[in-house]
Amino acid sequence: MLLTDDSTVIFRVRGMLDFSCQLDISNEKRGQSAITRCFEGLRSKISSESLVFLVCNSPVLLWPNKGLQSTVEHLTEETPCRDIHQYITVEDGGSKKASKKKERKDASVVNLKLLMEVTEAGDGSAPSLCVLTRRQHCARMPVSVDCVLSANGFDPLQTVCRGLVGALRRQLLDMEDAVLRHRKGSSLLVPQAFHFPLPTPGNLITVVYPAGVAESQLLSEREVLHRKYGLPSDRPYFRRANAFHFPDEPYRDGYLRNPHAHLTPPSMEDSKLYLVRGIYSYHHYMQDRVDDNGWGCAYRSLQTICSWFQQQGYTERTVPTHTHIQQALVDVGDKESSFVGSRQWIGSIEVQAVLSHLLGITSKILFVSQGSELASKGRELANHFETTGTPVMIGGGVLAHTILGVAWSAVSGQIRFLILDPHYTGGEDLQTITDKGWCGWKGPEFWDQNAYYNLCLPQTPKTI
Amino acid sequence: MGRGYIVEESVEKHLANLSTVAGSCLSGLLVGHSSAQRDFVVLAVQTPRRESEGPPEGQRGSNPLDDTDVEWVSMHARQVTRMLPGGVGVLGVFLITPPELAKEAQSTLKRLVLAVDKYMSKTRLWDLSEDDVTDRVTLHICSKTRKAVCKTFDVKDPKCSAKPADWKYQSGISSSWPVVTCSVKLDLDIPVTDMSSENLEKCLKYDMLQDGLKRWAKQIESGVCLINGRLALDDSELLSGPKKSTRGSQRHTFQIQILVSAEEPEPGQRSSARVQACSGSVCVRGTVHCRAYIHSNKPKARHAAQAIKRDILNTVSSRVEMLLEDLMNEGGPASGQQDLPRRVFAPLPGSGLSVCDYVFPDETPTDVAERLKEILEWDSSVEDIDMRVEACCSVDALGGENTCDDGVPQEGPIQSSTDAGEKPKASHYYAGVTVAAVIALLATATSLLYLTE
Repeated sequence: MLLTDDSTVIFRVRGMLDFSCQLDISNEKRGQSAITRCFEGLRSKISSESLVFLVCNSPVLLWPNKGLQSTVEHLTEETPCRDIHQYITVEDGGSKKASKKKERKDASVVNLKLLMEVTEAGDGSAPSLCVLTRRQHCARMPVSVDCVLSANGFDPLQTVCRGLVGALRRQLLDMEDAVLRHRKGSSLLVPQAFHFPLPTPGNLITVVYPAGVAESQLLSEREVLHRKYGLPSDRPYFRRANAFHFPDEPYRDGYLRNPHAHLTPPSMEDSKLYLVRGIYSYHHYMQDRVDDNGWGCAYRSLQTICSWFQQQGYTERTVPTHTHIQQALVDVGDKESSFVGSRQWIGSIEVQAVLSHLLGITSKILFVSQGSELASKGRELANHFETTGTPVMIGGGVLAHTILGVAWSAVSGQIRFLILDPHYTGGEDLQTITDKGWCGWKGPEFWDQNAYYNLCLPQTPKTI
Repeated sequence: MGRGYIVEESVEKHLANLSTVAGSCLSGLLVGHSSAQRDFVVLAVQTPRRESEGPPEGQRGSNPLDDTDVEWVSMHARQVTRMLPGGVGVLGVFLITPPELAKEAQSTLKRLVLAVDKYMSKTRLWDLSEDDVTDRVTLHICSKTRKAVCKTFDVKDPKCSAKPADWKYQSGISSSWPVVTCSVKLDLDIPVTDMSSENLEKCLKYDMLQDGLKRWAKQIESGVCLINGRLALDDSELLSGPKKSTRGSQRHTFQIQILVSAEEPEPGQRSSARVQACSGSVCVRGTVHCRAYIHSNKPKARHAAQAIKRDILNTVSSRVEMLLEDLMNEGGPASGQQDLPRRVFAPLPGSGLSVCDYVFPDETPTDVAERLKEILEWDSSVEDIDMRVEACCSVDALGGENTCDDGVPQEGPIQSSTDAGEKPKASHYYAGVTVAAVIALLATATSLLYLTE
């Protein structure tokens, strides 16, 4: 997914710092310098000897600013950083088989927690209490720092730790900027860090955004970033939804992501793969306590498509429920109000209408008079996935499916379709879904050769 | 199936020597450690005479037990607790009465035990956990026959009746208790909403102070604890290795390190800073030395962590309380830096544990010895008092790099501690009598003023 080099290790340090400063509201400039001073205080804490990194799920603690003192004797400044893995006890959840197949290619992530030591050797200074009388506003917020560093496995530990300390200091500078830029009087917005994957060379870029500010208001900041990294201005890279999802963090909503990534693609001569780009969630029958067995397949396919648009950052709207979908169709005048709460089927045209009404997305409709013709649509589908990359909803016969890609040979015209089947009624079990073909590669015979089909190909707006 | 208290032999001797005027009663505290497995008592301390008032003994009412000054015993319990390191606390109360009052003694003991517990829980910065024993011990000794009856009351259940308990003497029980120590750096900034003098009077007590210190206390309590430089699992044994005979062997010492993190925000996270209007702030800086004892029956790492963390919280809150009591007596806090009392240690004869006291800069070891004698009936020599455990000089918190203020000259003179003048020696303790008048400084009773985003 990110870095394919086996020997790369991603170190990620996260922690909470207490930001607390006195603001003199009568004086604007003093307020600004108070904030700056407070961040300086946090930065000097990061550079102090009291900084400690705890390697999660291990007994290892490191003092990066103290010559790499650690709780484990064998770890010294010169130790290659990949040796850290020996001390980490991996929590084993989920199927071993699946993870072996896939995780191999992903860089491993070492999570660190940032702590401050409050004890010290030696006497220190005698305790004292100091009373200040001044009318002021005391602003306090927890600041969550989150830095990543990608290292070669053979890099010495000291280099990695120094790099992380530097990254933490830079992040606090960025956070100070963000807080000052978006400040209104005594109202300070909490700065939050996001990591974004760049297409090449596979690095993570960390950006600080203020909490609570809508994406529409951060457009100019994103434009600056697109220019800085030479990225095209036709699709989002730096919206919060585009943040990199670390492989070791489970998705909290429980839906499976990209089950197709666990499949072996078909091997056809002279063929290429044209797949959906980015991340989608697998929506299917019986989820969310909605019993839509037998009628909801197109709704589920539409949900999968909406989840794609949300996770690629095109919309902040959450995936609509069956009711939302039905209401949207009533609102655009396509259906009578009795439609809401019914179990009526919808087709590609309705999917197109809902995407337009709820998400502002336009879609192309492709009509095929006979299922057997689908085999000849290879070029069009390949082109769609190559340029647009959205999942495709296909309805016909009595069934709806989602096409996630094609394997197509321009030479022979042979084609296979990557299908995500919304008719699955079981639980979110990746093994079953891939083994039984609920997400799988199908040949042209999969389609009803005599039925006609409509395909809805959602288009992406040119926006960042 | 009641509890069994194992008691130091020195306590037996001490209790035997306590004599009462005929017909009168004598109360005191029992100090030790209680855990799920074992209970130990290491010290018995008589309630000191209250200086004030009251008719001389024997002439009070028909029943001297009714006159037992429950409030005074509770306050004494707090003074005693301040002098104890972590892991050791007031476990209960004893009463010596003439034989005819033996029956009534039980209800008095119950009253005392409940009152003491209530009083002490008011100013605690930490909450009791499930592991904590809520049984308190009471001992009744008949002044004629010297027969001792031991019972326990569960303070969690005030309506309960007394349960019988065993009381057994043994020597050297605490001589091998491992001790954990650490030095904690303080760097707290506590905003104060209202410092006007009218409110200072009105304001209350220690729970206001606790409000300001509570956030810090939570960080300490949830902090990571290293023992002798290693991260130990909660249930790992503290003393590993072959079990030597613990009688007469060296006391193990463990160095503790505490690592903290700011607290995670709640799930419904605010997107902006919490802003509070305040009229001042209090900074606490410097290093405090902490010490705790662990009972030696297979102690686990988490017992050590809990004991030392509680000592950390106790020592800081005790000192801040003491300083503020002192300042209130002198007419209110002035702006500027004040030295918090330093902690000194002294060995407790007969048990091998250390006890501690707090000294203000102008006090001498003799002052300490006097207080220890008064509160703990300590009778070792002045030379045994170790005044050097903590540093003597405080960094100038106002001029140095990590300033309390932001460079703005503040109002009011900087009061140095030598200006404070002669302090009456035991005043810090007896000032507690007028509890209501003190410690408004960290009052956050008034509602917080939020400026919304």
